[in-house]
Amino acid sequence: MATSPNVRSPLPALVWAAAATLYGVLFLGAESQRALGTLLAIAAAAVVLGARFGLVDRIRASIGGNERTFDIAAVAGVLAVAFWFHEEHFIILMMTTALLLMVVALGLTIQFGYAGVVNFAGAAFLGIGCYTAGVVTKYTSLPSFLSLPLGGLMAAIIGSILILPVLRTRGHYAALVTIAFGILFKVFLEVNDTLGGPQGIQVKPIVLFGWNFNSPIRIGDFTASFYFSYLLLALILLVLSFALVRRLERSWIGLSLDAIRLDEIASACYGLNLARWKVLAFTLGNFLAGTAGAAYGHVLGFIAPNNFTFGDSLILVSIILLGGLGNLWGVAVAAAFVVILPEKFQVIQEYRLVLYAVLVILILLFRPQGLLPRQLRDYVPGAKPQSTHSPAEERV
Amino acid sequence: MEIALQYLINGLMLGVMYGLVAVGFTLFFGVLDVIKFSHGDVLTVGVFTGFATYLALKAAQVSSPLVQLIVLSIVAMAAMAALGALIARYLVLPLSGAPALNTLLITLMLGTVLREGVRLGFPDGSNPKPFPALLPTTAYTFGHFTLRLDSLMLLAAGLAMIVAVHLLINKTKLGLAIRAVAQDGETARTMGINFTAVVLITFAIGSGVAAFAGVMNGLYYNEINFSMGLLLGVFGFSAAVVGGLGNIYGAILGGFLFAGLQTIGAVALPFASAYKDVFALAVIIAIMAWRPTGLIAEKSSERV
Amino acid sequence: MIRNKRPSAIALSLAVALVSLPAAAKDKAKVAFIGPLTGGVAANGIGARNSAELAVKLRNADPKAKYDYELLVLDDECKPNVAVQVATKAGADRSVIAAAAHYCSAAAIAAVETYNRLGLPMVVWGAVLPDITYRAKYPEVHRVNGTMINQNEVAAKLMTGLGFKKWVVIHDTTDYGKGHNEYFSKFVKANGGQILGTFGVTADQQDFTAELTQAKALNPEVIYFGGLTPIGIRVRSQMDKIGLNAVLQGTSGIKSDAYIQALGPLAEGSLSFIEGAPIEKLPGGKFFQEQYDKAGYKEPPEAYGAFAFVAMQLILDTIEQVGPDRKKVTDALGKVANYDSIIGAVTFDDHGQNTVPLISKYVVQDGKWVIWEDSEYASGKRKLNK
Repeated sequence: MATSPNVRSPLPALVWAAAATLYGVLFLGAESQRALGTLLAIAAAAVVLGARFGLVDRIRASIGGNERTFDIAAVAGVLAVAFWFHEEHFIILMMTTALLLMVVALGLTIQFGYAGVVNFAGAAFLGIGCYTAGVVTKYTSLPSFLSLPLGGLMAAIIGSILILPVLRTRGHYAALVTIAFGILFKVFLEVNDTLGGPQGIQVKPIVLFGWNFNSPIRIGDFTASFYFSYLLLALILLVLSFALVRRLERSWIGLSLDAIRLDEIASACYGLNLARWKVLAFTLGNFLAGTAGAAYGHVLGFIAPNNFTFGDSLILVSIILLGGLGNLWGVAVAAAFVVILPEKFQVIQEYRLVLYAVLVILILLFRPQGLLPRQLRDYVPGAKPQSTHSPAEERV
Repeated sequence: MEIALQYLINGLMLGVMYGLVAVGFTLFFGVLDVIKFSHGDVLTVGVFTGFATYLALKAAQVSSPLVQLIVLSIVAMAAMAALGALIARYLVLPLSGAPALNTLLITLMLGTVLREGVRLGFPDGSNPKPFPALLPTTAYTFGHFTLRLDSLMLLAAGLAMIVAVHLLINKTKLGLAIRAVAQDGETARTMGINFTAVVLITFAIGSGVAAFAGVMNGLYYNEINFSMGLLLGVFGFSAAVVGGLGNIYGAILGGFLFAGLQTIGAVALPFASAYKDVFALAVIIAIMAWRPTGLIAEKSSERV
Repeated sequence: MIRNKRPSAIALSLAVALVSLPAAAKDKAKVAFIGPLTGGVAANGIGARNSAELAVKLRNADPKAKYDYELLVLDDECKPNVAVQVATKAGADRSVIAAAAHYCSAAAIAAVETYNRLGLPMVVWGAVLPDITYRAKYPEVHRVNGTMINQNEVAAKLMTGLGFKKWVVIHDTTDYGKGHNEYFSKFVKANGGQILGTFGVTADQQDFTAELTQAKALNPEVIYFGGLTPIGIRVRSQMDKIGLNAVLQGTSGIKSDAYIQALGPLAEGSLSFIEGAPIEKLPGGKFFQEQYDKAGYKEPPEAYGAFAFVAMQLILDTIEQVGPDRKKVTDALGKVANYDSIIGAVTFDDHGQNTVPLISKYVVQDGKWVIWEDSEYASGKRKLNK
């Protein structure tokens, strides 16, 4: 398996993308619980065997060396699955939700995975975005598309209330502050009538250049569910966020954030302005969450304070912990898993909070880096064929 | 005037409950430098255990409310003491080398497991359950002000528990050991104190006290539900932080302070008690911004 | 001869096969039931689910039925956002033809747009908020039970007739509670009553000391409670704790056994109003109760079980008539007039609303909900505290 350091065959990566797409189609389309169980067993077996025979490393190296190809393949895969199920409302809705939650998880990754800033109010920032979308479409006459950047902006601005406490606290104190904020957000919405109170509010659909996002797409013989427009929007958002976060990670900014996370005192000694980088990470993460939230509000069409409880924030934290703190693809896979699995397996729908909590406990006890651990920083993408779990990376 | 008295009684009750929960947080932090976020949910499990005991007693034809009360309190406290020790032994102690964030996350997730466990495991758990009124409910009326005997008894019991914990920590040998471990674990070990045993006992005490607070809560509101521990935990933790983690008096003071804040919020704000939680939470965030380690600052040193 | 017999044997078996073929090949049709199966008002949801299930079972056992019905049961948890989710799920599933849905008004009013958008015809069986059928004219939305307007009118007349003059209103801040507040205030003022104060409380509020202390200072005779059972229980028990001796007058939201079980002796003298007659007095009530007991359900049908039964019957009958097609069912439901059911004749007006003329008044007496006219309070033997 010796290959020259800078040329990696894209073949394993492409095969992996195709296999994942096929699996996605089968999984989403499966009707009976038995079919689903079989598919899950196949996936588990594939993972174990793959690790055994070094396939996982080969795929990883291939992905690392052919990033752009793999990105395009991934997007093509998602589009393929979407077109396959173009008329199934519920499946398209599920995919859209998963894509939007991935964006939120990316935001949380910047905060937690890179800068080490805990945020247990992720659902609250998502909610700020949703309610901004509702207010923009209901009370103002601004073009509805603006709700997306406005949602992000509102989340960032309201998040800045927390900046001072977050900067000055550490560890469990910081956790308390964000937990308190998350609960405050929900309680505030419930008692305040102008934003609908516990009843919630309607969020009107996006209308862009006269095209109402809520109408089904009909081109000739081809009809698509009316969630399809939102799916494309979510995909675009995800691609943009993913690119942004990856660029960020590989830049000086990312390096600074990592340094701050790993050792604040040392970073300060080296001249890094702790406050500036933490504020940047926190605000940017909230902005992403708010933008995704605005889109989510439009997709749902109706939001209530009950959508944004502490439990939902914990689910978001579970996503980034399960996927591997700081690993973007891992986070994406975990988000898809967390959203789609309980919908398909009706049986676990009620148990999903417990299930995720137990999984996270197990991971924290036995594999704190997450399912797909974050790789050591690649200065030349794809050059290092193996990941080493250095002690520095163990400290999450 | 009478209205003020009514609010005062209510505020005192809340203060005692928050204080009891805060004492737990502060004990755990003092001894192991760890925040066990599942504490509030341990309270919930405790009071549901008590409730289950009550149901069992009723089925066994034990009808004296006094006996029922004593037995269910003892069972709840003992069970939670055991649970607390188990949590310490298997989830907290093994992680004492890992970064504090991992312990925080694990206890947070554990809290979720406990909460959902009650909801799913207890028959019809997602509904609030009526908790029996086991204390005499005669009411004394002074003009417009009514005081029920059971409220008074609960208040007295809560204060007694606080005094008991204070005496335990300060006047017994065990308390001495706990304080020694809290001050400096390594030195305590060299002095012959069984570190693990003390930690387990501390967790047991804290959890037992939480169960007591839960039973009090159940008796006062005549109702229990699976999410009652979450907000109590947040307020209890905030009370402990405000009073200074590691300081028992601070914890109790913090508890009363919070209850006072909520009561003032309920009285002063024009939209009545709807906003009192918002008010209290906002104050928590403000206090953390101003004094990041509590009003009585934490004396800590960090290894660089 | 054998040779002659065989063809006729074949002919005979063919004939038998042909005759039995239609009976064996019944098409399938799927219908949905949506209600609160978990949460504080689960008793009502479960009772209604059993009733709807009973309707489907009876229909499937009927040899004359054209279709084989399958029931999809979804839980809206009495939460608006969950209601929208399950409505989307039911609506997006093309095999679901129609749904009988919702006890909680907050949930129903949130989901109404979704049914319209996805084109799923539905019949409400328990939610009483008028806006559900009257806010917009959606052809998909119908309701067999009455609205809170009638309830509150009758309640106001009864209470003012008994001599009560001073009220304090406590209502939850969902559209359900707000609706009750709006209508009751209107009617009680029209009948000469006085509202001394109004307090809105959140749906999962635990501590009502602040509101009740302020209410006590206003010295009311009656506390009007516009909300559901879980809060009703808390309000009543905390009223006693701070010594507020007033009558608790509730709405259909507290008419459940859970209310009495939780409060014990404190529940005595609480009032509630609900549309329709008690099951025993309904035209088809005996039949319904017999079938329900025969089916062996552990839980009682509760206040709205009969309505859920009717809603599901109506859906099944419509599908039998026009076939399992959503558009046709929607059109047919819009034309329902004098449909004979166990609660009497059902007619939908141009907004899909049925008029239920009778409002029953209930009072808690000795641990049971008793019809007001039959109670000792009405005859004067007992007095509601003033």
